[in-house]
Amino acid sequence: MRLLRVDMDRLIVRQEQVPARYERLGGRALTSRLLAEEVLPACDALGRHNKLILAPGLLGGAGVTTAGRLSVGAKSPLTGGIKEANAGGTAGDALGRLGIKAVVVEGQARKGELYLLHVAGDSAQLLPATHLRGLGTYATSDQLRTEYGAGCTVLSIGQAGEYLLTGASIACTGEGSQRSNHAARGGLGAVMGSKGLKAVVIDKADARSVPLADPELFRAAARRFAQELINDPRLGPKGSMHLYGTAAITAAVNEMGSLPTRNFSSGSFEGAATLRGEQMRETILARGGEIGTRCMPGCVIGCRNVYVDETGNPIVGTLQYETIALMGANLGLDNLDDVARLNYLCNDYGLDTIETGAALGVAIEAGYARFGDFESIASLLRQVGEGTVLGRLIGCGAVATGRALGVRRVPAVLGQAIPGYDPRSLKGNGVTYATSPMGADHTAGNAFGARREVNPLGVEGQRELSLRLQIIAAMLDSTGLCLFARPPVIADPQLMVDMINGIYGWGWIKEDLDRLNRELLRTELEFNRRAGITAADSRIPEYMREEPLAPHGVTFDVPDSELDAVFDAL
Amino acid sequence: MAVDVELFGQLSPGVQRRQTLNLERPLTVEEVAILSGLDPTEVGLIVINGVQSGMQDRVPPDCRLCFFPPVSGGS
Repeated sequence: MRLLRVDMDRLIVRQEQVPARYERLGGRALTSRLLAEEVLPACDALGRHNKLILAPGLLGGAGVTTAGRLSVGAKSPLTGGIKEANAGGTAGDALGRLGIKAVVVEGQARKGELYLLHVAGDSAQLLPATHLRGLGTYATSDQLRTEYGAGCTVLSIGQAGEYLLTGASIACTGEGSQRSNHAARGGLGAVMGSKGLKAVVIDKADARSVPLADPELFRAAARRFAQELINDPRLGPKGSMHLYGTAAITAAVNEMGSLPTRNFSSGSFEGAATLRGEQMRETILARGGEIGTRCMPGCVIGCRNVYVDETGNPIVGTLQYETIALMGANLGLDNLDDVARLNYLCNDYGLDTIETGAALGVAIEAGYARFGDFESIASLLRQVGEGTVLGRLIGCGAVATGRALGVRRVPAVLGQAIPGYDPRSLKGNGVTYATSPMGADHTAGNAFGARREVNPLGVEGQRELSLRLQIIAAMLDSTGLCLFARPPVIADPQLMVDMINGIYGWGWIKEDLDRLNRELLRTELEFNRRAGITAADSRIPEYMREEPLAPHGVTFDVPDSELDAVFDAL
Repeated sequence: MAVDVELFGQLSPGVQRRQTLNLERPLTVEEVAILSGLDPTEVGLIVINGVQSGMQDRVPPDCRLCFFPPVSGGS
């Protein structure tokens, strides 16, 4: 296995053998360890001392279903702390097959210069990318697929990343014409832009297969894992995730009073019925769109869709719950066509839809558009692409927008917008937002699926639940597994251990995996401590402790002492 | 007492999605599910008046009762 060091100062790419201490790390575990060892935590996130790291998970490239996610890590310009965001698509699989453990982008190109990294088999080089300047991610992907072949994988930033906007994402292509998988959170697209790196192209032609230490063990475990996903009532072909996508939960979150509505001023939205997964499926099928498509090769869940307009032309692929929550109910929009159009713009500019939806909600509260008025909202969002002052503010996220426009009600923790679960009525997520080294990030430990294990409206048990979920999330992010595919490996961690041992022959036991996950969280917490982040920076916004949320009339009332004790048992 | 029942997702496609049941005596959620024509084993999530509930919980008078298929967190 090798590391690619991409030196943007000298415009060269070096290949290194993976040091022994990194051999057993993948995905988030590797990006965070490299950051902890090589990046000064107090550095400027958009300066030359930060590093952008791309790493497939431990299962990447081995052909395990749902396990090809690519981790992207850097110090976040949004949170000021360590960050990992991951994306589906084909990049994780392609890098894994090429034996590339990580791509480490260092230094900074000269101001105004723009490059792309081309990875072809055993070689990699930086090439000028001036011709891509100012292009959105869709046009960038199309252009590079024309130049390098339809089968290549493209990672790219749009205008938001080029402008160094802290809500910027990194887009990743997938199978066929798919161009809209995003490592969205934390503003990592701005870090990529700050390096002068517009895109990464990974050729498919020379992709190989991952050597297996124990093929029999691996194949048996991988087969069982896939079969258990297929058998799962949530995830299999008759499951809600496949039938309705992640939007399957829209109605449930709304019923439970946790759906962000009109800049987090209510937990239920009167227009939620037309945002539901059922409505989305019906509309897509009636118009000739696609349901149940996949973001990674071989995925047996298939929760993606291609949302089309009335004439059957694609608006966006894929429309997902978080976007529906933050750019639908949160903006007072009850029409999926409108949400899909905003989603398309965000994807093209290379923006996180959670961060941008929250920023737009704040801007509306300041009077710059109207809740429920698509045209006024879209007009604001288009300003991001145009590069106006207001557009750049919105592209920098909810906190920047709130500060500049004088809005106190800003739904953010550690500088990052709160996703589609209001922490007042789903307190387990609130504990995760307030304690995770990732800031307000539901993928760092989502309590929504915990059902009756812990009462979402209560305080008791949330601390323990959040820690357990954060440890599980660390495992998912380090192996490259989709978070929806977690049930079989939570039920039987040995299954994951067998897949890893089948590939690498490490002879791990379950405790080794657990230790690694806990070490990862400790590494990240220490990075943030050294970056100067304190518990006070990570609190749930004060207004959420004071302002009761309809319909339950609840505030976020988990005591600080409980939050501060989350990692006592780590 | 009247109970508004709503079914979501792929739960029992042949069953009316919204119905109001007039109950003569207090029932459990499971009993209401069966009365509604639902197979309780298909249900993954139950919400009564916005609060997550269980199959053996008593259904309060004049409530809204929602049945969801098994679901997991979004992305």
